[in-house]
Amino acid sequence: MPRYELALILKQMQRPETAAVLRRTVETLMERGALVRDLENLGERQLPYRMTKHNQRHSRGTYFLVDFYAAPSMLAGLLDHLHRDVDVVRPTVLKKDAQSSIWTSLSFLEDVSPLI
Amino acid sequence: MFQVIGGRSVQAVRLLAPRSAVLVEAVRGRKSRTDPVAKSKEGRIKVPPPVDPVEMVVLKERYTEYKLIMRALRLEFKEEVLRKKYEEETGSQAEERARQEAEEHRALMAWNNEENLRMLKARILRVQKEAEEAERKKIEAAIQREQEQQEFIKEKEREILRLQEEVKNFITMENLDQRIEEALDNPKNYNFAVDKEGRVIKQTVLQ
Repeated sequence: MPRYELALILKQMQRPETAAVLRRTVETLMERGALVRDLENLGERQLPYRMTKHNQRHSRGTYFLVDFYAAPSMLAGLLDHLHRDVDVVRPTVLKKDAQSSIWTSLSFLEDVSPLI
Repeated sequence: MFQVIGGRSVQAVRLLAPRSAVLVEAVRGRKSRTDPVAKSKEGRIKVPPPVDPVEMVVLKERYTEYKLIMRALRLEFKEEVLRKKYEEETGSQAEERARQEAEEHRALMAWNNEENLRMLKARILRVQKEAEEAERKKIEAAIQREQEQQEFIKEKEREILRLQEEVKNFITMENLDQRIEEALDNPKNYNFAVDKEGRVIKQTVLQ
């Protein structure tokens, strides 16, 4: 199965609410037959620009990264679902190449091989 | 009696033709054989031109001599030509020449055959070598393919093992909450710069 990455921007919320959103997102993924590999938090930070979603203006948000294995046919449905979620400001699904995976894990820093 | 030249009637011919009149001749055009003779030509007796006997005799002698000489010359020349031809074909030189030519031909044919044999040998050798080369290459290619296949299989096996290891870290229903808590507790920051050795030199601070 191809490997995807969901870059999720969530609304500025309290910790239990964020946990709930994450939980239901991952559960949706697993219901649709995806195999969730890892969940990363990139922190709550200032958004690069103000984003409007669900009649709300957001200037701060929390970034999460979910990599998962999934069938391509379910992506459309997933994105639709995520757009409708009120707490999600912006969902973005990206494909993961075998090469680009070197950047998501910091293991390359342990390698001695030069970058150039 | 005389020949017709071109034109429709005698008079027209006489008018059109030149005055020097070698071409123009009289023509039996108007009258046929059975017509009576013309009145103005009734008593006409045709008389041949007068001949001087002495002169005639002399001329005849001279003519016979002349013709004799000319005939002799002509026959001489003809005979010479024939003789030359005869000698060409069946003279003494002809045999020698024919023999020499036959020798030459034989020698050349022999040489040609030699050359053919030589080239045949060379060709056989060459073809053999090429066949061997081709065999070798084929075998090498087969070995290469085998090796590549083996490599491929090994690579895939390694991948499988790697994945099997990683599966232990995947998120399932049971560790979902735990993982969420972990993630919320440890924010990661990818905004760093590396130098050529791969060491981190700069890193932005997470607000």
